[in-house]
Amino acid sequence: MDSNPDRREFVLGFVAAAFGAMLAPQSAAASGALRDQPWAVWDYKNKPVRGGYFRTAVERYIGKMNPNHWPVLDWISMNYFHERLMLTDGEYKPVPWLLEELKFEDPQTVLMRLREGVEFHDGSKFNAAAVKYQMEWIRDPKSNAWTAAWLAPLVSIDVVDERTLRWKFNVAWAAFAGVMANAPGFAMSAAALQADVEKYDSEPRGTGPYLLEEASPDNFLKLKRNPNWWFARASGNSEMPYFDGIHISVIPDPAVRLANLRAGKIDALTLDKSQYAALKDDPSVTVYRLPASHVNALRFNTTKGVFQDVRLRTAVSHALDRKALIAGTQLGFARLASCMFPGDHWCHNPELAPVAYDPALSKKLLAEAGHANGLTVRGYYINTTMGQTIAEAVKNMLAKVGIDWQVDLLPATALATRMQALDYDLASSGWLFIHDPDLMPTGLYHPNGGFNFGRSKNDAAIALIEAGRREIDFDKRQKIYWQLEKVLYDAYEDAWLWWEETLVAYRKNVMGRDHENLLKYKDVWFWSHPLWFKDGKA
Amino acid sequence: MAMGSYICVRLLHALVILALVTMLVFVIAQLIPGDAVMAAMASSVDMNDPAVVARVRHQFGLDQSILVQFSNWLTRYLTGDWGTSIGTGQKVHAMFIQRLPVTLELFLGATAWSVMIGIPAGIISALKRNSVVDVAVSTGTMIGVSIPSFWEAIMLIYLFGVVFPILPPSGYVPFAEDPLLNLKSMVLPTFVLGTHFAGLLARYVRSSLLEVLSQDYIRTARAKGLSERAIIVLHALKPAMIPVVTVIGLAWAHMLAGAFIVEVIFAIPGLGRMSVDAIFQKDFPVVQATLIAVSVNVLVVNLLVDIVYGYLDPRVRVNQ
Repeated sequence: MDSNPDRREFVLGFVAAAFGAMLAPQSAAASGALRDQPWAVWDYKNKPVRGGYFRTAVERYIGKMNPNHWPVLDWISMNYFHERLMLTDGEYKPVPWLLEELKFEDPQTVLMRLREGVEFHDGSKFNAAAVKYQMEWIRDPKSNAWTAAWLAPLVSIDVVDERTLRWKFNVAWAAFAGVMANAPGFAMSAAALQADVEKYDSEPRGTGPYLLEEASPDNFLKLKRNPNWWFARASGNSEMPYFDGIHISVIPDPAVRLANLRAGKIDALTLDKSQYAALKDDPSVTVYRLPASHVNALRFNTTKGVFQDVRLRTAVSHALDRKALIAGTQLGFARLASCMFPGDHWCHNPELAPVAYDPALSKKLLAEAGHANGLTVRGYYINTTMGQTIAEAVKNMLAKVGIDWQVDLLPATALATRMQALDYDLASSGWLFIHDPDLMPTGLYHPNGGFNFGRSKNDAAIALIEAGRREIDFDKRQKIYWQLEKVLYDAYEDAWLWWEETLVAYRKNVMGRDHENLLKYKDVWFWSHPLWFKDGKA
Repeated sequence: MAMGSYICVRLLHALVILALVTMLVFVIAQLIPGDAVMAAMASSVDMNDPAVVARVRHQFGLDQSILVQFSNWLTRYLTGDWGTSIGTGQKVHAMFIQRLPVTLELFLGATAWSVMIGIPAGIISALKRNSVVDVAVSTGTMIGVSIPSFWEAIMLIYLFGVVFPILPPSGYVPFAEDPLLNLKSMVLPTFVLGTHFAGLLARYVRSSLLEVLSQDYIRTARAKGLSERAIIVLHALKPAMIPVVTVIGLAWAHMLAGAFIVEVIFAIPGLGRMSVDAIFQKDFPVVQATLIAVSVNVLVVNLLVDIVYGYLDPRVRVNQ
């Protein structure tokens, strides 16, 4: 899976993250009186000012606005009017948001306490009955909710009181909190769902800081400020959110999005890495560099063909100059990857170092494996501009050690067909939005995983994946995933290349962005610290 | 044959062609590996989870046989239900109705530009044949035809949207909502789309006018002492426009292809962009609806061209 993060990829990765989160174990308890949270600090040098419509641009229109109906094509915009029961922190651990507390009474039972004083945009209460209704609606086949499979372990939800629910599962479901931090966890008004489900696809009723004002498919989305946003009251920042609204233009071409930013027609933009040079000296704009929880890799077919031999996998991995790949294809905006979990993820094993570039070792291993005169392997890469660039660079690096990688550039459907048929030796891989730790390993290495299809069968890894799903103790679970990384790393199960970075540009009149804390707390900081315009004007 | 009968016969032919095109498109679309569900879910959802994939495929009727799918689709299409877009989840008919006026406005504006630029340029070029003016105009039209529209679009966006910000760089505002902003936002896209055809048009006008001006009756008109202006306006221009009308008609029919590039670059929510997105996503309901619309467009435009043709040149009344 090509990890070239743009909004479309955001969607795909978000979905992937949500799906995998369903399968993964999760920490025993997560709780938080709002003001006790480490990120609940609003110590602004300049007082926030109300006013103005914040303008941004996306590549694709949002699609459906019910997060459980397919397709949703812009999850960032979704978060403006729908909020999740849980968010994630700087290490991608779930933290309560619309929940006050989530506690495992036993591995198959969770007690969930909702925040007080939260209302949906239609005035109905966010309470236990509403959450129960929503989850049962998701599971009802008549609802056509594509997220229904993610709630598969759920047996029952009982309303204990106005704000408390007891969830019972048929297995130890440590991933539960992760699921609540993803698509099924977006709180939707039960009253609106009951009244007209079809209408909900275009007229959402969430709890978020903004309400839908106007939607013009393929053109724009206009949101207006929610004057009754619960978080404003709960945090003691009554003026939140500060913008009068948000205007999201749909502009497919990245060069034109940049033109709009430079013309002052939009206030913030996620950049293509190639656009950094054009903006870095622009006095009207500040560009921020952020780690992203995506990984770019190459996958081996370890059950068919030449890469059943670990020496050849090792040879390939050491033939790749990852620093050069980052410098050449990512313009320096990526981090060397040691294994699958990004360096800031709580499941990243800190003892693993990136595989060294050692072409001499590659040649030696090739010779030992009986390929001193060269080796021809087949594969594919996603057919995008970036995909072509990366494939070409990797092909050249492999050629230097005597490996001829016959790589086909394929669109998504053809790529999926080849992946399923195991019709490759070496191919593009990776993962977007690595949040709960089970999704990616299950997807890539477990026999039931969505992107395995039998190409990987590492028994030690499989056992660790299954152990990680059941373990609700945080520290023990972390150790399981560290061990999993080591097992995959030692086996050269895949060639991990880099962890992604994102560049975001903001016009200088957009205030309130604390980059240091954003790096520290990520998701939860972003949504709890809304921005504002200097002087309240765009 | 009377004009009325002729139109009826042409319409009948058109319906037969439409039916054949529809069936062909449907069959070819089914033969292409994969579908929109696979394309969209290949990177995002567990392909090994039959429940998820089956649910979505069933939702869009992709689990039926080709014959059943075609028959269901045709029945619904004729009753106004054009299906649901797999790529966006919207009703295809609603998508069409939303986007048709946008693309029509783009086409009309582009046609206006191409006529405003192309016809005068062609006339001037013909009248000043082999002069510096002729060379300049011919070069200009050649450049207009040759410049890639995506490059032209981006250059104009930067020039008039960023450097000299007098026009919006992108986006669309409906005319009913804000007429002035609508017109401003459509100046650049219609210009880009129009300049390509303007170049083509100019060359046709030039060669057509030159041919007409070489006719005997023009020589007779000159011999009779008519002014050059009178000769051009009263005697030469109308017959010279016959092939030009055909070109305009054909250009209109094929503008959809060029419209895609313009609509993407300028972020205009029109049919062109919708169509190509649907093709890349294997969004069959949208592809089929679009192809029928394109076929109807071509057939109707050709019919209109023939009618106008008959008006311009009475010798060309249909006679079958």
